[in-house]
Amino acid sequence: MPAEVKQEQSPSNATSLAMMQEPQEMVEETVTIEEDPGTPTSHVSVVTSDDGTTRRTETKVTKMVKTVTTRTVRQMPLGPDGLPLPEGSSPLGSYTDSIDRRYMKNGGDRFITPQATSTLTRSYNNSYNDSYGETPESQYIRHYGLHDGYADLTDNYGSLSRGVNFRPPRYPYLPSNYRPENSYTLPIRKDDYGHVAQPQVPMGSSTVDLNRSQPERFQPEPYGLEDDRRSLGPEEEEPYELEPDYSTANRRTLQGANRGRTHREPLRDGPRVRGYPDESIEAELIDERHPYIHGMYSAPLAQPERGSMASLDRMGGRRSPSIDSIRKDPRWRDPDLPEVIAMLGHPIDPVKSNAAAYLQHLCYENDKIKKDVRQLKGIPVLVGLLDHPKSEVHRKACGALRNISYGKDNDNKVAIKNCDGIPALVRLLRKTNDMEVRELITGTLWNLSSYEPLKMVIINHGLQTMTNEVIIPHSGWEHEPNEDSKPRDAEWTTVFKNTSGCLRNVSSDGAEARRRLRECEGLVDALLHALQSAVGKKDMDNKSVENCVCIMRNLSYHVHKEVPGAEKFHDPSALQAPGSAGPQRKKKDDAGCFGGKKAKEEWFNQGRKNGENDKNYDTLDLPKRAEPSKGFELLYQPEVVRLYLSLLTESQNYNTLEAAAGALQNLSAGQWTWSNYIRATVRKEKGLPILVELLRSDSDKVVRAVAIALRNLSIDRRNKDLIGSYAMRDLVSNLPSGQQRPAKNLEEDTVVAILNTIHEIVTDSSENARSLIQAQAIEKLVAINRTSQSARETKAASHVLQTVWSYKELRNALTKDGWNKSHFQPTVTTTPKATKNGKPSYDDTTLPLMEKNQDGYSTIDQRDKDCRDCKYKTGDGSADLTEREPLKNDTNRKHYIRSNRPAVSLVDACDVKPQPVDSWV
Amino acid sequence: MLHVPGDPVTAVTVQVEINKLRYGENLILGFSIGGGIDQDPGQNPFSEDKCDKGIYVTNLTPDGPAEKAGLRMGDKIMQANGWDMTMVTHDKARKILTKKKENVVRLLVTRKSLEEAVKHSMCKWTKQ
Repeated sequence: MPAEVKQEQSPSNATSLAMMQEPQEMVEETVTIEEDPGTPTSHVSVVTSDDGTTRRTETKVTKMVKTVTTRTVRQMPLGPDGLPLPEGSSPLGSYTDSIDRRYMKNGGDRFITPQATSTLTRSYNNSYNDSYGETPESQYIRHYGLHDGYADLTDNYGSLSRGVNFRPPRYPYLPSNYRPENSYTLPIRKDDYGHVAQPQVPMGSSTVDLNRSQPERFQPEPYGLEDDRRSLGPEEEEPYELEPDYSTANRRTLQGANRGRTHREPLRDGPRVRGYPDESIEAELIDERHPYIHGMYSAPLAQPERGSMASLDRMGGRRSPSIDSIRKDPRWRDPDLPEVIAMLGHPIDPVKSNAAAYLQHLCYENDKIKKDVRQLKGIPVLVGLLDHPKSEVHRKACGALRNISYGKDNDNKVAIKNCDGIPALVRLLRKTNDMEVRELITGTLWNLSSYEPLKMVIINHGLQTMTNEVIIPHSGWEHEPNEDSKPRDAEWTTVFKNTSGCLRNVSSDGAEARRRLRECEGLVDALLHALQSAVGKKDMDNKSVENCVCIMRNLSYHVHKEVPGAEKFHDPSALQAPGSAGPQRKKKDDAGCFGGKKAKEEWFNQGRKNGENDKNYDTLDLPKRAEPSKGFELLYQPEVVRLYLSLLTESQNYNTLEAAAGALQNLSAGQWTWSNYIRATVRKEKGLPILVELLRSDSDKVVRAVAIALRNLSIDRRNKDLIGSYAMRDLVSNLPSGQQRPAKNLEEDTVVAILNTIHEIVTDSSENARSLIQAQAIEKLVAINRTSQSARETKAASHVLQTVWSYKELRNALTKDGWNKSHFQPTVTTTPKATKNGKPSYDDTTLPLMEKNQDGYSTIDQRDKDCRDCKYKTGDGSADLTEREPLKNDTNRKHYIRSNRPAVSLVDACDVKPQPVDSWV
Repeated sequence: MLHVPGDPVTAVTVQVEINKLRYGENLILGFSIGGGIDQDPGQNPFSEDKCDKGIYVTNLTPDGPAEKAGLRMGDKIMQANGWDMTMVTHDKARKILTKKKENVVRLLVTRKSLEEAVKHSMCKWTKQ
């Protein structure tokens, strides 16, 4: 939608519209089609995808429209068949033909022909150049095309776009006749303009963005476990970097290119390719059509545009060609910015909407103008227009606000908020049923949500509305499902994408934001439903799914601390010395599959008695629920594990993968009943192999999230054994060897996360330490310890080494391999000698988030938080874990575990029902 | 066949190349597999110690592509087209073998008769 505003686009759009009988539909299609040939679609998409915010929309639409229009106009006169029509066909005939053609193009092949592409350029040029160099007649021709369009629409069409193309031509030729009519234009426009414009706008933003954005979605967005970072990140980093490439750049290029040619041979490019004699053709066309044009379309139509919009185009300064012509004609001048803003208050509605649309165009990717608009107090006026009853007006105002709200200049966002723009947007969202307007509103909110201080404001004003108006209906979730109707699938609309993006951003605003979102009625239910529907349809790579998963992950963060009534589920034994499992749990466990009846599971019991953490896996006695859980309770129900695992298995979107792994990480952190159960459920659902496989992912952040998730999962004793046995190789393979990084070149955070995970796994398990040795890890660890440039890596590696060395029974093997005690000592540089008993002294700065009096598990959570902040300070959390569990039991435990090892597998046989033994292949 | 993760597996293997047979819409290999790390190894009739969670050939279609290629019942599949098959879930193994894009499956298999022929020192048993 934003695109419409732009000058270039608009002209073309207008033309096309005019020609079509059903302007709206046609336009849309046209736009879509054209994207491919005319403008590099990819550009557009890039913009969109990056931010996670809507802003990108702005430019792309425009270009696309542009292209389309041009072609249409040109092609018709030149000859539908690819040959010069002018000679044979009569004006009328040609006219009709062109219309049909377009339709066909829209519906069908979409401008596959070379002409189309060339056409764009051509048309552009024509409008500009024609006025200059060409004969009056030729100009007429162009006009003619436009006029046709008008006829259908009714006269007004006056949208911005038109102004661009038409203006120049008209001036030279028609000035005297048209002017009087110009004055009328404004009123007329209202109606028509609205109709015409609408299609364009929506198309651009919605269709285009969606399509285009998809490929690009996967671009890395830095965000932590919770989305905090991300919200900021995208705006600041990605959009800007990308911008130059996209629309702006293209646009300019096009213009420049055109310009060069334009002056004398604007349109020829297309025709030439085919070998047309352009000039002659044009001349002929002119002659033939002339009469027709005159009769049908009178100057008046054209004029209106002039008055309001046409002049505006120039302001942007982007349209250099037209500028030239304009300057020559002293009567015309672009309104300056104050004038445009003043027009927002014009008593005539179309002027308002045109001014807003023009503002939107001007602001597109132009931070300077955004700032100027703010300083000229344009934002409150635009916000005021949001409540305007005319859809055209509030639509355009919203479009302008969206562009203004996009970008890293947070002052613009604050300005919108300061004049109560957020409640106004939300109000409009409740009021309007226009899809396009809703996209604009939610896009604006998405943009606003990227600025930290506004998140809570958005939550306060818009959370329930966004949930009720967008999330729930589009997710397909129903409060009370109709028995007859089968569950509906989610619709991945732009509105849903924008809204979920907005919620994703606000969900990272700390505990209070999480609480509000969790308690927002229907939100969690709807998000889960949407995700389940995505899994069901195997459509898991799109941005909306990514947003939903990220929200879920954020809401899962610290769930064990923040959820109302969480205390009830806290494991009383968690704070006690390890080894004393809660009696109630034990009982259930014994009655269950570990009753010891089966001889082959005997070892499990032994291991459990021996292991201190075994309490973690006998979590099967959950509080019984009388009614199905709903709302935030759904966040941590074991059922979600399967959902996340499906996403982890199927999705190709790194952000989604990371978020799903992060969700499991968050859920498996902490010591309460539900996290115990989650950890066991991941195992039962065969999630461990899935996670381990993702350690091989090419994406750094996926590896990191998975590694941390594995660490949290290994709080469960049995998970620890399984992970130690089967994940060690993949963990170790992610470590850099010596100075060289592995092919993946993982970031420091990731390496530290992996080291901490390894540390957690080998702690209290000499068997796992043995696996570590067998995975050839010692060499890498020693290398990291000695040579890594990163103090945190060094420290983490050193912790692992110390733990390994603490297993006396392994020292023999280590010595045999040529290692000695000095290899396992912390290096002097990083750790002072004070580490006497193998526990390095940690300086407090590295452990800011670890409160010593917390239970050991909280560290893990904190780590999550750190991750999010990128600081990862708690990397040393592992130290606490070490402390927590004395090593004295090692010998015994090792014995048990070793003897039983064969039965340990990534998937617990006893947790799973026997599967079909044979598969024919 | 037990081994500790991280250790190289040493085994005597033969390569078996099976050309899939188009059967209606499906490409078939003509054998069935059992085992996998998610399966109960105790039910595997072919492994010695009942602890091996590898993928075993449990049945062959008479005169099917696999049998023609020399695969035998009880063979343990070590690799398939380069993919490790010693530590995979049953379903994963099935997926690797049934990729629609691949018309040929090259298996590395080991079997007891081979193993015994070269018995000593080749196998690294995990338990010391």
